Amino acid sequence: MVKQVGAVAGSSGLGSNGGKLHIGIWHAAVFLAFILIWWGLSATAGHGFLPSPRQTFNAAIRMSGDGTLARAVIESLISLVCGFALAVVVAIPAGMAMGGVATVGAVLNPYVDALSSMPRIAFLPLIIVFLGLGYEAKIFMVFLGAVMPILINTYAGVRNCDAELIEMAQSAGAGNADIFRKIILPGALPHIMTGLRVGASLALINTVVAELYTAVSGLGGLLSIYGNSFRMAPYFVVVVILAVIGMILMYAVRLLERSVTRWRIERPW
Amino acid sequence: MASINLEIAEGGLCSAPLAANEPAVSVRNVSKTFRRTNAQQDLVALDGVSFDIKPNSFVSVVGPSGCGKTTLLRMLNGLIRPDSGEVLVDGKVPSPGPHMGFVFQSFRLMPWRTIRANVAFTLEVHGVDAKECNERADYYLNMVGLRRFADSYPAELSGGMKQCAALARALIGQPRFLLMDEPLANLDAQTSEFMQIELMKIWRKHQGVVVMVTHSVDEAILLSDQIVLLNPRPGRVAEILDVSLPHPRWTYDVRAHTDFIAMRAYLWSRIKQMVANDPESEFFGRDEAILAEIARR
Ligand SMILES: Nc1ncnc2c1ncn2[C@@H]1O[C@H](COP(=O)(O)OP(=O)(O)OP(=O)(O)O)[C@@H](O)[C@H]1O
Ligand SMILES: [Mg+2]
Repeated sequence: MVKQVGAVAGSSGLGSNGGKLHIGIWHAAVFLAFILIWWGLSATAGHGFLPSPRQTFNAAIRMSGDGTLARAVIESLISLVCGFALAVVVAIPAGMAMGGVATVGAVLNPYVDALSSMPRIAFLPLIIVFLGLGYEAKIFMVFLGAVMPILINTYAGVRNCDAELIEMAQSAGAGNADIFRKIILPGALPHIMTGLRVGASLALINTVVAELYTAVSGLGGLLSIYGNSFRMAPYFVVVVILAVIGMILMYAVRLLERSVTRWRIERPW
Repeated sequence: MASINLEIAEGGLCSAPLAANEPAVSVRNVSKTFRRTNAQQDLVALDGVSFDIKPNSFVSVVGPSGCGKTTLLRMLNGLIRPDSGEVLVDGKVPSPGPHMGFVFQSFRLMPWRTIRANVAFTLEVHGVDAKECNERADYYLNMVGLRRFADSYPAELSGGMKQCAALARALIGQPRFLLMDEPLANLDAQTSEFMQIELMKIWRKHQGVVVMVTHSVDEAILLSDQIVLLNPRPGRVAEILDVSLPHPRWTYDVRAHTDFIAMRAYLWSRIKQMVANDPESEFFGRDEAILAEIARR
């Protein structure tokens, strides 16, 4: 009985399986339509600049064969993962401190606003001067891209805590530490997850930007090499790989999100 | 900090070790003014409120919306302090804790915790170990009829069930004072009648002081030994009534009792009078016939 009731929180039986299958069919259909349109465009309007799906596929085979692709992906992933991890480690505690201690929040808020609306590329000359052109500079660029959305969302989540729940905890005699840990943080988690999602996509964007503007390497480096020489088939392979990495990244964050907000009732629509 | 009795006692409320004639709760000339964000004038929520509560009695606080009932409960719990006057519970300035169970007007369950973990919260924040917490939570969930939903999340429960969970959370600390803010207002008529009987039983069995805010005149008479009637704007004590209907009250038809009928009629006439004389009430100055009509609804 208990188990049966508990199952409602996860996804429930038939209905949602049916729904998933349905969505799977739609995914396949949309993907096929996309390939068809791509193929049509490359055959009619491309003038050699838009490679056909087949040419792109052949280029992909070639690039994975000689290790170009694997090397580039690994180089990019190093910058991406290190930079993003650094951002998480810095932004979440900082956001909590800003939300938890009113003066910290009030004092730092203007700087957060200033930094978050600044294009990251503006820092690039400084970064190159201090950190050079290697991984350190790239990781720092990725960090800069991801840190603000995570921090801002953590801050907002902590600030928008449920005052009624806090009063409830006070009435039970809970201390401030317990109120922070057991009421404010869990309440802020959905916000923090939103921050991670936005931060992850900005991290990927900044990885490519950093690779274009510092020492050419990784997927961003390949983009600039192939782009400058108009070798469009391998160029497209890199674009597709970036899209796939983005999808995997988002999917991972969403899995994490779902596992920490399991208590949210999933709506059937 | 309050010490917690770890044994599962016979039940919820522990009886107060007090001299019989000493009041368990004493509210002396209490006033409270709130500063309002977007209004020039401050709002006087309570003005010179005084009353005593005897040990082991059930008290209802009745009065129109906005007369300061919730404010009064928060003061009894120690969540806020009066601007002037004093509130004494057991002869001391009250402080929040598990000995002061509070059932809020809204359920206030943590959506990310199971019902069991919500109920156990009161003990958990006082360092009671997890196993003990869960056992005690199950005991009180059983008492309010929610055993089967211990592993559910609040979003999966009906309004009435959530209110029961909130009651269990208040009872788990074995409070000597149980403060309830319209605990049955969110329930449908049938469930609230069953819960009224349940409350009578819990209180009769375990003793302690219960202060319940309610909008329902019937409910107040049905459950209480004493009714504090508050006037609105500013909140003042209009009248304190003793209810002498014999206990236990689930054994006979209280509503048919002549004392019940007389008291109900009297309370209603007082509330009608109050509303008709309140310039801020939408019923200000309406004639008796209309108010009688409202009362009948
Ligand atoms: N924290 C607060 N800040 C400002 N005003 C407040 C605050 N709490 C209560 N008030 C005001 O004090 C008055 C009394 O509020 P209270 O919540 O005690 O009323 P109540 O009798 O419980 O009403 P209801 O029956 O509608 O719950 C109201 O006019 C309310 O606007
Ligand atoms: Mg109220």
